[in-house]
Amino acid sequence: MAAIRWRAWRPIVLPLLFAGALLLAWQELTGWLAVSPMLLVPPSAIWSVLVQAWPVLLAQSWPTLVNSVVGFLLASGLGIALGGALVVSRRVEQAFWPHVLIFQLIPKVAVAPLFIIWLGMGPTSRLAFAVFLSFFPIAVSAATGFRAADPTALRLCRSLTATTWQTFLRVRVPYAIPHIFAGLKVGVTVAIIGVVIGEFVTAQEGLGYIIMFASSAAQTALVFATIALLCGIGLLLYGAVALGEWFVRRWYGAPISAGGFE
Amino acid sequence: MPDATGRERLLTVALPTGTAVAFLAVWQAVATLWAIPAVILPAPSDIVRQLVGSWGELLYQASFTGAEALAACVLSGIVGILVAAMLASSTPLREMLYPNLVAFQLIPKIALAPLFVIWLGIDAPSRLAFSTFISFFPVAIGTLTGLQSTNPNAIRLCQSLTASPSQIFRHVQVPYALPFFFSGMKVAATLSVIGIVVGEFISSKHGLGSYILLAGSRAETARIFAALVVLCVIGLALYGAIAWLELRVRRAWRG
Amino acid sequence: MLSLSEPALPGECIRAEKAWKIYDTAKGPVEAVAGVSFSVRRGEFVAILGPSGCGKSTLLMMCGGLEAITAGRISVDGAPIACPRTSIGVMFQESTLLPWKSVLDNVMFPIELLHRPRREHMARARELLSLVGLSGFESHKPHQLSGGMRQRAAICRALVYDPDILLMDEPFSALDAITRDEMNDALLDIWTRYTKTALFVTHSIREAVYLADRVLVMNRRPATIVADIAIPIPRPRDPSVGETKLFNELCSTLRGMIEHSHRAARDVTPYA
Repeated sequence: MAAIRWRAWRPIVLPLLFAGALLLAWQELTGWLAVSPMLLVPPSAIWSVLVQAWPVLLAQSWPTLVNSVVGFLLASGLGIALGGALVVSRRVEQAFWPHVLIFQLIPKVAVAPLFIIWLGMGPTSRLAFAVFLSFFPIAVSAATGFRAADPTALRLCRSLTATTWQTFLRVRVPYAIPHIFAGLKVGVTVAIIGVVIGEFVTAQEGLGYIIMFASSAAQTALVFATIALLCGIGLLLYGAVALGEWFVRRWYGAPISAGGFE
Repeated sequence: MPDATGRERLLTVALPTGTAVAFLAVWQAVATLWAIPAVILPAPSDIVRQLVGSWGELLYQASFTGAEALAACVLSGIVGILVAAMLASSTPLREMLYPNLVAFQLIPKIALAPLFVIWLGIDAPSRLAFSTFISFFPVAIGTLTGLQSTNPNAIRLCQSLTASPSQIFRHVQVPYALPFFFSGMKVAATLSVIGIVVGEFISSKHGLGSYILLAGSRAETARIFAALVVLCVIGLALYGAIAWLELRVRRAWRG
Repeated sequence: MLSLSEPALPGECIRAEKAWKIYDTAKGPVEAVAGVSFSVRRGEFVAILGPSGCGKSTLLMMCGGLEAITAGRISVDGAPIACPRTSIGVMFQESTLLPWKSVLDNVMFPIELLHRPRREHMARARELLSLVGLSGFESHKPHQLSGGMRQRAAICRALVYDPDILLMDEPFSALDAITRDEMNDALLDIWTRYTKTALFVTHSIREAVYLADRVLVMNRRPATIVADIAIPIPRPRDPSVGETKLFNELCSTLRGMIEHSHRAARDVTPYA
């Protein structure tokens, strides 16, 4: 009985144990080896900085969070719309799909300075940059999803004299949703990355700015504390998307794997 | 009846080329006819002129970015394989590490770039380490998935033929894992360029990233575009190299 | 041989006149259906029997308006077919149930698309489901059903909007032999009750003889119908029919024809 229970808990307990042990080793070794606080600070020091600088960090995390969320939502809308537009006709797909794929391969991060020139140093350029970065993975996965519908289901719709729009809404969209969520999960992290890079480059406000500022001032503990907060935001937003996916899966009530329906 | 397949094949090439040319033409027309300031949007012809004019400088900067991205890509391949082999070899180790690794991927790792500057300075090793750090994971996950997706019946067959574990590894597991490894490497190719560019943004004195940033601060937009073109070529070349390698290796294994 | 100008016979439901299907491929044109002519009377159950890859599924899809006809003509109810019609129900090799819909909602899917009154068709859907032995499974999802149960639901879906003609493309070929026999009985049961005109594609000789009033034997090269055999086994039929002399004689006749046409195809040079 106990053995069975352990087997069920093992996949959860073991990783947590490992993470805990890692933190403990980090804490103890930094003290033991007298590592310079410039290079690495123990978790306890990070925690105390996090508590001390909490009001500042909270104020600076607000623009980062808002830009990320708004950027992600805009990118989702645009990406899903473009993904749908791409599959409207075979010709449209042939004409634009290669461009979308090539855009996936090039280092779009480097475009950041252009956004500053176009939209200034303010939050608008960071927002636009986040939209620009997270738009592509969402569009690609949406287009993939809209094409992933079971071909015989499409044939069934044709035999039932369904209109293109009926087929799209009732068959293509439901088949696409698992794929779209895969894209959204990538997109939400990429949106945060876009905002943070924007904050690195413009150095006006936000957690990215704090990280740059603290690292140039060699305040390593503050760098770590800010990164920890940023990771918290990242996990929070990812969790929100994952929660949405969970609800959708429950509504489907059918086994769904990463690649669509089983 | 017209040759439908030939027409289809022609369209697959002609349509995207056509849209690209049309896009450039509209860009050129808009930029020149509406006399948009070159700071906001230089015409494609301006960008080409800039490319030709500062060719030597661009090539010099690209040599840093390109070499570092290539090195980071190779390094993430090696690190990815090592991590995957480690995780595949022991179940408890995998159970301990894998969920932590996955959770780690959900955070915006780019934000850790300044830490690498603190630890390793502003030279190539710092950027290499950062770039490898953000790009090894797809390789590790891909290779691990590949090693675990081996058809169990193929292994059983080998065992019935009394093959040694190393033979099974070479003749069954490696061929099964190769496609997964390479799809991870293709993602890593893109990520490693991004890693180097972000590193150059925040620390370096040379490389296309710092060149772009400098041009941006001087509002030399045509120069930014010219550097972006070179950067895209580096990105596509790295991806193409991986795809070519995959073809060669697969052919060698006749997979 | 039917000529193009011949008027539709009374009671004739489907009629193909020298129907051709030619695909353009990289290696040149391929004749999937080569000048096929046949007709099906109203209420008749006709099986198209042939080896795999002989174009019989393509022919069926042409009858349903799901594949374009390259040359010749297929008329359904006297009018040439150019696109799918609601008077025709189609069953595919896979059950093609939508994975996120319950069994009942899957059966009601055509009603939803065709904007037919929901209330009365709901009753019909439940009746059909109970007829094929699926009562109690209305709210199950497809992944909770066995392959045979899924195809039963697909039969109900094809019949729920009351089409006059049922086209079936090897609907039971993915099932195991035992389930397949059960499905044949279920199909006969439902067909006798509703008497639809049925066109059934199969590569199983016994299935064709067991189900059909007439069997059309289709050849591979050229892809055309080489024989039209009546099956004079009285209805209602049950599994014991399979042991009768008549049944087995018919089976061996058909087997002979398929083998014969195979040999003939091997003797002539490949059809260019």
